[in-house]
Amino acid sequence: MAQNISPEQSGGAGAGGTKHSDDSLPVKDNHAVSKRLHKELMNLMMANEKGISAFPDGENIFKWVGTIAGPLNTVYAGQTYRLSLDFPNSYPYAAPVVKFLTSCFHPNVDLQGAICLDILKDKWSALYDVRTILLSIQSLLGEPNNESPLNAQAAMMWNDQKEYKKYLDVFYEKHKDT
Amino acid sequence: MKVTIKSWTGVATWRWIANDENCGICRMSFESTCPECALPGDDCPLVWGVCSHCFHMHCIVKWLNLQPLNKQCPMCRQSWKFNIH
Amino acid sequence: MCDFAALWADVVKIFPVLGGVNQAAAAVSAGPVDEKVFENVRHHLTMFGGIDTFAALVDLEIQSSIRKVLVPKFWKHFHGLVPPELQSGFSDQALAIEALPDKNRLFTQFIEAVNELHEGFQNLMQVKPRLIQLIGNAERPALRTVKLMQEDGIKNCMRDCLLAQLPPTFSVVVGAFYWVHFKLFTKASHLALTTVDSDVFDELLCVGCNFDVEQCCCQKLTEMVNKTNTRLFEMNLTDRLTGSALTALIRLKIKEHINDTCMGIFDRSHLKQLETWLSDVIMSWLANIFSEWKAKDCMSEDDAPAPVQSFKVKLTYYMYETFAQSVIGQFFSIIIDYPDSIPAIDDLKICMEKIDMRIYLTESLRSSLEARILHPGVNTMDILTGYVAAIKAIRHLDNTGVILEMVTAPIKDYLRKRNDTVRRVVTGLTEEGPTDLSEELAKGEAIKDGKDSGADEFSNWENWEPDPFGIDASVMQYNSSRKMRSADIISMVVDIYGSKELFMTEYRNLMADRLLSQLDFNSEKEIRNLELLKIRFGESLLHSCEVMLKDVTDSKRINAHIHGESNRPENQQFDISSLIVSAQFWPSFNKESLQLPEEIETEFKKYTKAYEAYKGNRTLNWRTVTGRVNIEIEIGDRTMEMVVSPTLAVIIYHFQDKSEWTLEDLSAITKVPQSALRRRLSFWQNHGLISETTPGLFTLLEKESEEKSQFEEMSLAEADEEDLESAMASASDQREEELQVFWSYIVGMLTNLDSMPIDRIHQMLKLFASHSGGVEFTQDELKHFLQRKVREHKLIFSGGVYQLAK
Repeated sequence: MAQNISPEQSGGAGAGGTKHSDDSLPVKDNHAVSKRLHKELMNLMMANEKGISAFPDGENIFKWVGTIAGPLNTVYAGQTYRLSLDFPNSYPYAAPVVKFLTSCFHPNVDLQGAICLDILKDKWSALYDVRTILLSIQSLLGEPNNESPLNAQAAMMWNDQKEYKKYLDVFYEKHKDT
Repeated sequence: MKVTIKSWTGVATWRWIANDENCGICRMSFESTCPECALPGDDCPLVWGVCSHCFHMHCIVKWLNLQPLNKQCPMCRQSWKFNIH
Repeated sequence: MCDFAALWADVVKIFPVLGGVNQAAAAVSAGPVDEKVFENVRHHLTMFGGIDTFAALVDLEIQSSIRKVLVPKFWKHFHGLVPPELQSGFSDQALAIEALPDKNRLFTQFIEAVNELHEGFQNLMQVKPRLIQLIGNAERPALRTVKLMQEDGIKNCMRDCLLAQLPPTFSVVVGAFYWVHFKLFTKASHLALTTVDSDVFDELLCVGCNFDVEQCCCQKLTEMVNKTNTRLFEMNLTDRLTGSALTALIRLKIKEHINDTCMGIFDRSHLKQLETWLSDVIMSWLANIFSEWKAKDCMSEDDAPAPVQSFKVKLTYYMYETFAQSVIGQFFSIIIDYPDSIPAIDDLKICMEKIDMRIYLTESLRSSLEARILHPGVNTMDILTGYVAAIKAIRHLDNTGVILEMVTAPIKDYLRKRNDTVRRVVTGLTEEGPTDLSEELAKGEAIKDGKDSGADEFSNWENWEPDPFGIDASVMQYNSSRKMRSADIISMVVDIYGSKELFMTEYRNLMADRLLSQLDFNSEKEIRNLELLKIRFGESLLHSCEVMLKDVTDSKRINAHIHGESNRPENQQFDISSLIVSAQFWPSFNKESLQLPEEIETEFKKYTKAYEAYKGNRTLNWRTVTGRVNIEIEIGDRTMEMVVSPTLAVIIYHFQDKSEWTLEDLSAITKVPQSALRRRLSFWQNHGLISETTPGLFTLLEKESEEKSQFEEMSLAEADEEDLESAMASASDQREEELQVFWSYIVGMLTNLDSMPIDRIHQMLKLFASHSGGVEFTQDELKHFLQRKVREHKLIFSGGVYQLAK
């Protein structure tokens, strides 16, 4: 599953426990939120859905690491992406902050991993959860919104899928080495 | 032979008459409580919107209070109105 | 010229020992020897220049005489005295002494032998002054190498020879001597205990003067003993020759005394009494034996002679050790008697401060616990009672908890294997019983939360104490943390299962069973218990139980409302009361089904309607198999009323319309599986109402059968028995399911976090997966599980971390 991860990224995920250790102090008044997150985790674990997965990154249930597979029949097929999910204390009334940890060349993802997706912003609903977020991001990969790109180069290249794929392969080769 | 039932002590589980099992907001079962409550049922009731979606009352009220402008059902994004039975 | 014969005669006059074996024994030379004789011999010796040679010759002869005559003669006295069976086979001298049949004879023989030895000794003692007289100058350098000229030369030589030829039985003889001596002494000083072995005494005291106290030979014997002691002392033999027998005898006496005065008595302290006894009886007896020492060394009156002092140290140690062993040997009884046995435990505590006996204690106690309570013949409640008592008693002994942990580990292991343990603990907690658990619960001490007590350990560092030493580190593997070891009794009991979550789950199951099966359940008591448990285990674990109890009280209100005149359903056939449960908070119900007959179901529908009307938007799902039915059966001219389970009621109800049912048909109409149905039918068969006329065909017996008497005797209690089967699925049934849940979490974390060591996986599971089931994995269990997955090629283990197989 995790074949194409750059060493840098997998190292980052592995060291996550210590990296976030100062955040792992229990936050007061978040019982309801952690309750829902525990519940979501349980549902996610039990559902065992192909292509998406997530788990708390360390002791703090408010910080998760997600994994999505690039959707089949898209230029992203065969890739695996790591994401970070930071849940606010007001979750699920407010959306989590979701970022790509793996470098992702995509019209709606900037080079720092930030994602432009409406359901994570103004279209957020308390009904969304980790699963739906990851599924949305997964489908975003194959269906970018080129109207408001974060990565203009990617948006421009998108129309020529063949070229795009070529560029993508080079991009990943490059990022694999770093 | 004649069998007469004098009295019967039965056991039943109660449930809400709703079109779903869990509250979409807190993910807890309707028959359970919202995360803030301890006792289910009377103390943590369900409410219905005119859109027919229902939630733990405490969950939807909190959601609506956090929507600055148009207060919508988190499920169907229609403007939320309580359906008073 | 010189007359050698005359000269030799003179020499022999001075030194009879030179006269050969027989003369030495005759010992005729006690009388003074004329100075002329000395002069003659001296003259000749000087003339020949052989004084040094002569002295050496005398010395050799004396040594030879001691070796060849004196000592063998002494030993000969005891030849054949000790029965052969006592010569070997008794590893313990004290036991051999105890078993001796004829101590009196040995006693006399010993005295005689010592007298004779002493006589010979005295003769030899004259040699030295005479040699000096002969030679005139004791300071001749050549004489220094002569043994008998040395300080205590003869004594040492004699002692060495005696020891060199020591027969193995001798210590038994000495033991017998002191045995009698001790009796005389204790009798004389009125210290004799009631248990004095009277036959020995009678024979001894008055040989020939049985009726005349005036002529009692006690006094005489004592004098003889004292004389013998003096002689032994003079020969410097007391310590070396008799010391070990004396020690063995005293040890025997100490053991006897402890057995006589302390055995089985735990409610008072014995140490003081023992100390007093040791100094008043044993030590003063020893002082008596060694009294010559005192006289010789001119010690002050108060000081005991040095050997007595050193004896005292050894014997005190021995007494503590023996006493401690005796207490430890009885520790099981002490546990059972706790708290009445606290004085005995306090005594042991003092002993253990002086002597390290922890290993002995733990081993002894472990084996006695195993022998007494850890076998199939003992019911779980009794084991629990023993466990709780052991915790209390051992706590009192050792508050570090180390001994407790080691001793109770096998009990915990054993209890864990019994499937009714948690239920018994819960029963113990919530009902008055022999375990005192309910009492403990009522004390309401809260368990310290893991984090808090961790902090305590550091903030409280000044009170830190090391673990008791003398405990093998390898057996301390149980030793989880200090917190566990110092936890209160209820925690210790709950700890049997390693997890309070599992315990609470079982508590919930048990409570559910009780609530469902008891109509007249005492909700106040349950609520009180629950409050106490909450204080101890925290709200969150017991939240479900709280909801369950609220369901019960709510149900009562709902029933009252529905039964109220205005709401009463029309044309009601019978009263329905219901327990309306919040399913999410109850344990999962078993999956049995039961289809109610239509007219009965109609009644339930009416109730449901009334409920819906009362609680808007809510409805009821009936758990038809669960509950209680009060039925009246009229058959022939008899009528009986009874309370049975719904299934039983429905079965007999169907026999009203049709007196014969095949198993298939009845199963189809009731939706009860045939096997279960057959089991239920047997209830009515046993009570003579139904008979299986041909296999698979059940017929109502309208006429009274022979089983009638049984039928009439039937009580509610009997009917209850049928329903003791739990309506709930047991916690242990769910284990395999839980493993599957854990596996999903492990896959989840390894998918996202790549590779992890076992402790991290364990920690993550504890943090995130225990919410779903409540049951925790120990790291050992987890290791097994992960290894299984490695074998199944689901995981790869390398470099200390696990990852998913690709």
